[in-house]
Parts: sequence; C-alpha cells; structure tokens
Amino acid sequence: MHSLHQPDVIFGLSSQWFAGTLFVITYILIVSERLNRAIISMMAAALMIISGVLTQQAAVEGVDFNTIGLLTGMMIIVGITKDSGVFQYLAIRSAKVVKADPWGILVMLMLVTALLSALLDNVTTVLLIAPITILITDTLKISVYPYLFAEIFSSNIGGTATLIGDPPNIMIGSATGLGYNDFLFNLAPISIFILLVSIIPIYLIWGRHLIADPKLINKVMSYREIDAIKDWVLLKKSLFVLTLVMLGFIVGHDYGLQPATVAMFGAALLLTLNCLPQGQEKQSKMVARALNEVEWVTIFFFIGLFILVYGIESTGLLESLAHQVLDLTEGDKTITAISILFVSAVASSVVDNIPFVATMIPLIKNMAVTFGGSQELVPIWWSLALGSCLGGNGSLVGASANLIVAGFAERSGQPIHFLPFMLIAFPMMMVSVLISSIYVYLRYF
Amino acid sequence: MNASEVMDPNPTTLKPEDTIERAAKYIMQKRYRNLPIVDDDGCYIGMFGVNCLLKHVIPKAVFIDHGLENVSFIHESLEELYQRFSNVKDLPISLCMNKEVETVKPDTPLTETLLLLYKSKTSIPVLEEGSCKLLGMVSYWDIGKSIMNREQVDA
Repeated sequence: MHSLHQPDVIFGLSSQWFAGTLFVITYILIVSERLNRAIISMMAAALMIISGVLTQQAAVEGVDFNTIGLLTGMMIIVGITKDSGVFQYLAIRSAKVVKADPWGILVMLMLVTALLSALLDNVTTVLLIAPITILITDTLKISVYPYLFAEIFSSNIGGTATLIGDPPNIMIGSATGLGYNDFLFNLAPISIFILLVSIIPIYLIWGRHLIADPKLINKVMSYREIDAIKDWVLLKKSLFVLTLVMLGFIVGHDYGLQPATVAMFGAALLLTLNCLPQGQEKQSKMVARALNEVEWVTIFFFIGLFILVYGIESTGLLESLAHQVLDLTEGDKTITAISILFVSAVASSVVDNIPFVATMIPLIKNMAVTFGGSQELVPIWWSLALGSCLGGNGSLVGASANLIVAGFAERSGQPIHFLPFMLIAFPMMMVSVLISSIYVYLRYF
Repeated sequence: MNASEVMDPNPTTLKPEDTIERAAKYIMQKRYRNLPIVDDDGCYIGMFGVNCLLKHVIPKAVFIDHGLENVSFIHESLEELYQRFSNVKDLPISLCMNKEVETVKPDTPLTETLLLLYKSKTSIPVLEEGSCKLLGMVSYWDIGKSIMNREQVDA
C-alpha cells in the first residue's frame, strides 16, 4: 500500500473497485483505438489522482523513470545516428552479400531486422528497414508481402533478445534489477533459435517461389551502398557513442549504473560531440531536431500507465489478483511460469504488451513471498518477457512495429490484412512460445 | 485592389481525363510549373505540375509516408527513369493531382493574394464565391507585370 489517505468511497465505489473499474475502462479504450493511447493513459492517471486513490506525490513515485530515461535516451541517439545513413548501408550491403538473390535478401533482411531490433527499439528498426525493402522488391518486381511479414516476425523476435530490445524487457529489467547481461545470456540464445526456426515456414510458404529477372538483380547490385553514408564524421561519432553505450549496459550494472543513466549520458555525449563545433543558433536547432526524434506519444503513454498501475496496486487489487492466480496454479512455480508465458503471449497478441506487462510486474512481485523470495521469481520474469515480446507476432495489432509495417505495406499497394496475417502468424507465434516453454522448463526447473 | 484585377481570366487548363504523358508534354513545351485541372462544367478540381513528373520517375519507396530519405546510393540512367515514367504515362492526370493548393476568391485583397503566392510557390486559382468555378489564375508573372506597369504609369 502506497497511499495512506485513500478515501473509502469514490463515486459510490470502494477505492479498490473504483481503481479496478477505471483500469478496465482504460484498457477497453486503448484496445478500441478510438482515442490516442497517450491521451487515454494521461486521463486515467489524472483521474487516479483527482479521485484521491493516489496523491500527486505518490503518482510521481509510481513512474518508472528508468524505463522513461532509457527509452528517451536511446530514441535521441538513434534519431541522430540514422542521419549518417549507416542503417541504409547495412540493409543494402546485406542484400548485395547474397548477390541480390530474392530469398537470400529475405533472410538477410530478417537477420538485420532482428539484430537492429535487439539493439534499438522495434519501431525505429522497421521505420529504417521497410522503405529499403520496398525499394529492393520494387526494383526486383517481386511482392513485398513476404519480406514485410518476415520483418514483423524478426523485429519482435530480435526485440526479445536484449534488455533494450522491446519495452516489456525494459520495464522488467527496471523493476527487477536484472541487467543487460542477464537478458543477453537468458533470452538471446532462445531468440536466435526461434528466429532460425521461423525462417522454415516463411521459406515453405513464400521463399521457394521467389524468383527475379537477372537484369533486375543486376540493378540492385548496382546500388553503391558506400554512397548511402551521408556523413562520415557523424557516423564515427555515432558509432563511438553507441559502442560506449553498449559497453555501459554490459559493465554498468555491476557498478550500480542503471540503463537510463547510460542511455541519457550517451544521448548527452552524442549531442555534445555533434553540437560543439556549431554556433549557438545552429545548436538550438540541432537539439530541437534531436528531441523531435523522441516519440513523445509513447513516452506519455508510459507515464500515464505507470501511474494507473501504481494506483490499482496501491488499493491492494493486484495483490488479491496474484493470490487468485496462485490459487489457480496451486502455488506451483513451474505451472505459474509456463501459464504466465502462454497467457502473456496470447494477451500480447491482441492487446498492447506495454500495459499488460506494466500490470503483470507488480502482480508477479506479489508472488515473491509464496515462492520464497524475489530471487525465486527470475524464471517467471523470463517467461513474462518471452511471452509478451513473442506474443506481439500473434496478430497485426500485437505490436506497434507490426502496425507500422502494415502501414508501409498498404502504401506500397500490397496491404497486409488482419485475418490472413493472423492465420499464418498466430500458429507461428504459438510454435515460438511452445519452444520458449520447453526452454524455460529445461533451463530453470 | 483584389485578386480579380490581377488574374489571367483565360488560363490554360487541363481535363481530368487527359493522360499524364499528354499533360507532361504540354507543360514541358510551354514551360509551365503547374496548370489547373477543370471538369466539363468548368469546375476546378486540382493542379497538375512538374512535381507529378518528378514523383513518378523517382522510386516509389521515396514518396510513401515515412519513405526513404536517403537515395544517394541509387545511380540511375535516363533510360531507367523513362522506364518508370512509362508505367504511368497513359494514366489520367486525375491520379496525380495536387488538391492542396490554396485558392482565392475574386475579392481576396491583393496583399493576401501575394502572401499566398509567396507561401505556396505556385500560381493560385481564383474561384467564384461559393462555387468551384474557375474564374482565372494569379501567377508571379501577372502580378510582376502589374507592378512593373506602375513604374511606367508613374514615369
């Protein structure tokens, strides 16, 4: 309990009922997409305070600034880095490495997308890769659909692999103190395996039919990827800072450095290196431009959600829910972990995994006593991370990156429709979750 | 002074069913940047301009929303650009119409018309009050000529 002065009755409801109702309505509104999700979560957060469930001070304490700082810092770094053209270079280079063979390109773009998604956020990754994909498939006069489908899959799988790859992992890492290396050692191996397994159905459905005219293949081979690098100085500065930040993530944990501090330091350092040679007016413009690269809608969505979830947590609702879950699983850690894995996967394939994970974190924390301490919860955290990240592949609305890719598909004249996508994606996602459950069982139990 | 006094009341117009190739040849020949498109009833429906041509010879991946910003690695010949143009040349110009160009009414004051001209960087259609009927076009040249003529009058 965090708020000591909660009113007993709010609009005729107990504070627990009021917070629970507000939470359910917020969820329904987020799913309905009638109103922008940032507005909904900010409104819900404000109502938590106005109704007296939380004081403003308690609400601020509920915001996980480690998640916010890490997301913001990385968005600034990537926003500046992408101007160098390095990501386009990478995509074109990968296509040329396989001699612009259509199936080879698909596999390479999957690998590049997964790698970038593991290091950057998924939305940024697909925003960088999808336009190049459309260019290449247009040039080869082949359908972009299998490529974009594969990129959705690999962005969610790649994002699963690291602490910074996908927002659920950022939140889990921040709430539990699990570091970058913990995620890397526990989630990266299984993510790589799942990525490789996912290539099989994509090959059987589309890959084996992909053929392009040799003349058009030569056209792709004529792209001079080195020319994609527009600013070598910026590239060097960006790569220097990105390396430093990755090192910070890897070794910082042992020195008590939180990922948000590392990312924000990296953002400040890159801004300094970039702005220092410029005059004051140019500097202001450069900083404003860099800050514009931050997806403020996502950031405010997070802030509102943290307050909302902190509100229901403070009423004791999540604690009772945790007890009910434990009653269902009879307090068995293995059954709890595997159930959470599957439930998170199915839930994340239909609703945004961010609010889902934000709710699950305090709920799982409440199970610590039953299982004998927070250290015992670690396998459950990996289950939550795997389920909520991989679950994003279950449907077109499972992750923000999916919708971004669907938008590209539509604009390129080859739309990805909800049902046809789900018919292939949902079974593939369930296979990945099944593999994950075997992995979790064998490794942790 | 207002828009109707500086407009060209007999502008060259295109029809929505004209092909992109025909319209393109015409604007190239006459060195127009943009021309208004009107239907059979003289109703203004949009503008067609050189940008439409450029848009169709550059890869599609550039012009989609959040498209490719950096194309410095693509090196194409005129032949390749023509290939892309030939895919759309027989399509009607209505597919390539700019509907975002601001319009003015005949009584729009001269200064406001000038400001619009300055901001939109293209000739501006003058439409009949409360309807879509095209009455004329205001261009840099018409305004420029009118201002220069004052010099002669004053002299």
